[in-house]
Amino acid sequence: MTTNAGSNRRFGAGRAGPARTLTALVLTALFIYPIYLVILNAFKTQEDIYRYPGLPTMPLTWRNFVDVVTRPDGLLWTGLINSVQITVVGTLLSTVIAAMMAHYMVRSTGWFAKSLWVVIPLGLMIPPATTLLPLLRMMRDFGLIGSVFGLIVLYVAGSLPFGVLVFTGFLRTIPKELEEAAAMDGAGPIRTFWSIVFPLLRPAGASVVIFVAVGLWNDFITPLIILGPANGSTVTVGMYRQISEHVSNYGAVFAYMVLATIPILVLFVFLQKYFVKGLLSGAAKG
Amino acid sequence: MHKQKRRRFPPRNPLYFLLFALPGAVLYAAFVLWPLLVALWSSLTNENAYRTTTSFVWFDNYGRLFTDPAYVQTLRNTVVLALICIAVPNALGLGIAVLLDRVGWVFNVLRAVFFIPVVLSSVVVAVIWQQMLKDDGLVNTSLRSFGVTDPPGWLSDPALALYSVGWIAAWQAVGTCVVLYLAGLQSIPKELLEAAAIDGAGPVRRFRTITWPLLAPSVTIMTVLSMIGGFKVYDQVKVMTNGGPGVGTTSTLAFDVVRTGIDAGAVGYGAAKAAVMFFIIAAISLLSLRIMRGREVDL
Amino acid sequence: MRTRRRTKRFLLVATVAAWALALAGCTAGGSAPSGSGDEVTLTFLVSETPNLTPKYWDDAIARASEKVPGVTIKKVVGENTPAYAQQLFASGQAPDIFAAGIANGLAQKGMLAEYTRDELKKAGVTDFTSGTINGKFYGVATGAQAIPVVYYNKALFAKAGIDAAPKTYAELVADCAKLKAAGIAPFEIGGGGKDTWATVFALVSAVSADVLTVDPDWFLKRTKGEVKFTDPAFVAAAKKVQDLARNGYGDKDAMTRSYADLEQAFLGGKAAMYPMGSWFAAAADKAKRTDIGVFGWPSDTGRQAFPTVSGAGMNVNAKSKNVELAKKWSLAFATDKQNRDLGVLTDGDIVTVKDYQLPDKVGAVYQETVRAYDAAVASGATVPAWANITGDGALPPGFSELMTAANVDLLTGKKTPEQFAQYLDQQYAAAQK
Repeated sequence: MTTNAGSNRRFGAGRAGPARTLTALVLTALFIYPIYLVILNAFKTQEDIYRYPGLPTMPLTWRNFVDVVTRPDGLLWTGLINSVQITVVGTLLSTVIAAMMAHYMVRSTGWFAKSLWVVIPLGLMIPPATTLLPLLRMMRDFGLIGSVFGLIVLYVAGSLPFGVLVFTGFLRTIPKELEEAAAMDGAGPIRTFWSIVFPLLRPAGASVVIFVAVGLWNDFITPLIILGPANGSTVTVGMYRQISEHVSNYGAVFAYMVLATIPILVLFVFLQKYFVKGLLSGAAKG
Repeated sequence: MHKQKRRRFPPRNPLYFLLFALPGAVLYAAFVLWPLLVALWSSLTNENAYRTTTSFVWFDNYGRLFTDPAYVQTLRNTVVLALICIAVPNALGLGIAVLLDRVGWVFNVLRAVFFIPVVLSSVVVAVIWQQMLKDDGLVNTSLRSFGVTDPPGWLSDPALALYSVGWIAAWQAVGTCVVLYLAGLQSIPKELLEAAAIDGAGPVRRFRTITWPLLAPSVTIMTVLSMIGGFKVYDQVKVMTNGGPGVGTTSTLAFDVVRTGIDAGAVGYGAAKAAVMFFIIAAISLLSLRIMRGREVDL
Repeated sequence: MRTRRRTKRFLLVATVAAWALALAGCTAGGSAPSGSGDEVTLTFLVSETPNLTPKYWDDAIARASEKVPGVTIKKVVGENTPAYAQQLFASGQAPDIFAAGIANGLAQKGMLAEYTRDELKKAGVTDFTSGTINGKFYGVATGAQAIPVVYYNKALFAKAGIDAAPKTYAELVADCAKLKAAGIAPFEIGGGGKDTWATVFALVSAVSADVLTVDPDWFLKRTKGEVKFTDPAFVAAAKKVQDLARNGYGDKDAMTRSYADLEQAFLGGKAAMYPMGSWFAAAADKAKRTDIGVFGWPSDTGRQAFPTVSGAGMNVNAKSKNVELAKKWSLAFATDKQNRDLGVLTDGDIVTVKDYQLPDKVGAVYQETVRAYDAAVASGATVPAWANITGDGALPPGFSELMTAANVDLLTGKKTPEQFAQYLDQQYAAAQK
């Protein structure tokens, strides 16, 4: 196989012509216009937002950002810390457990593995509102309510179906022979997994990480209810509060939105090159 | 040199089972399956947050569901919404992926830009678009400045509201499709396309005979995932139209479940609605997978 | 070599895992309550709105805590809806004290503590009819709100040649015609998305004026099935609302505005009349307006309806660690003069506590509101704000949203008044199941 179909000539026929570039720019501008408005309006005062919602006005101000950042109850900061913590731990745990479970499901032939194949996809189809109250009662009985630990554990369970879906697709492209050879050499299953399989799973892992992380970061219903009002909140819960609180001050709302979205965007930029490959292989053989 | 152990593969090692399969399975059973079972159980009761006693009503809730004309409208709305969420992001996503499939930092940036809405919270997106689509919002004031005297009520016209909500949900999903289809496009061996070009096939022909069939697996997965997502749309409805304008014009299955089970406190009835929603999604997903897998090219 | 790299990676993973698990124990922003000695810590659930800022709550809490020794209050923020309260009870996170009235449903299940009439009387409460559930008291009714009354722009009225607020319904319709002729939108009624609750105010007003001034217990009777929405009185009120919309007396763009936009539109002179809750007076006074007046929606015979509701908030959790102290604190909070003053200035409350004197710096619009209220009380035209009361005679849970949606159909003409009434009867029956 020549080197062309993969690494260096990654994209189509090479460089783009001026017509294509222009079309692309125009389409993107149209598509992203609402976001541009949000960012723009985050820099305007309230009256300017009402008078000229679509245009840039001259007195661009940092006022909204300052207000949000210096709120007396520190809503943005406590929210950020909680969100980062929950998202990082939840995503890592979720990815690892999903990968291991996917490995089991793909490589084993017993009845347990087969039943998992049936049961796991169900998780994707359940409307969260239904299971809310029974879940609450169960978590309360186990003492998990109001704790970050409880929230993380709930998230891991909930994101399993998606992770398993992506990983099983990808794992099927990794030849069994690789692991069998290691087994012949006397390596245990855990060692095989960590040193051989997991590194190969990197692209799939990156895609699971980004999608799960986005999901955890943006979810506000679950932390609102599980963590409860007394135990701090995540950055998205804070945004929800900001929206209902400052409904007339859109500048502050938009500023909060911008600040709350930056971390997850940074993560995406980092992982971009990995997970594009990951989605591809997962889909191709999934 | 230690003893050479021949291990069978896959291992029947209990440690393997314990470490790999059990933790995930236990978590899943506890936090996903168990509440689902309890919810299904409660759908057979008349459990209500505002009533002190609960008793079994067996299948009464389900009977009530299917004879309620509002529910039929909800089903119809959900199907329309799901169709929009399947067709628009996938078609646009594929087109944009083809457009942006080029080398250069400009295109790197543009690709990232399309993904931004995916990263945003759906509540944020709904708030932004509500400001744009309200009757005297940005879209209509722009239209008026172009001379359109009576611009449409995007959110206030019952005939349009559902499509507006659908468009917003779809807009947010375009980025995922762009990224996924870009990945798929990259996996197509360039030699095939080059060979076809040499043989005289134009870009359209090349797309039809090589690209499109090889993209089939991506299309399958994306379609099913889009559909499941489309069925679960809630935030956009709640923030932009609250199920209106008027009775049930934009009420979707997910919205109805929350309104019944949580807002009105009719837990048992809400659970029945959710159960029906769950079965519908499961049935359609399995069916679609079977159909679409059939047309995939085996690589 | 491979071993060393593997060990290093293992150590890294282990460190990260340990750090993660250690941090997983604590959240930022959730301070552990620090009680000292025999101080009892009670949690107090509040909701923040544009009027009720975090600082407002903190100050109010501090003042009440000064009066009741031995209590430390921990403020928690959430929504003030019964549905949210239910979730809190289900997850075991219900606070000791709820700021807003969420008693319906929870009181009947015995989850809230009862206040005795004596306790309330001693604290200065004079309103013993609001928020009762089966005749018992679960909240402290100190501030009434009128939901809604009609605020109007005097300048715009003058421009259309109207010199005084309408006294009968016929005058109101005539005024609308004059306003329309002068190119002014008569009513600002609307609300889109999550603010659709604001669209029903015309209906609420009409029903209050035509049905409730004649029979104030109408909705109590409805819970017992003694009257129906399809009765002629209700249908006639609904027809009035539809006629107003059909004649184009509303503001076309209002139906998709958010609540904040609605307020801005009225203050900006886009419409002449604004049926809204009396909390609007606070916003109008903040904008230092002196050209806004208020009147109660008139019936055909000239009775000006003033639908009132007293929040009956400060509900106490029956399983609180110290119910007596919680109730004592709640009463102190609700009747504290400065808290009441702030309630007046920031939220337009009409205070019903005994011997209450208005603070000096109340604004013009608020004063007008109070004057109208007193006049209504004198002429016996105060009726229950049937869309907002909780407790006996309240609408069943979930019904209000459906009525709101159906009201939009009434306004657009999609449902006739009879169909509207029938729909309400159906949904009411379903909600009562």
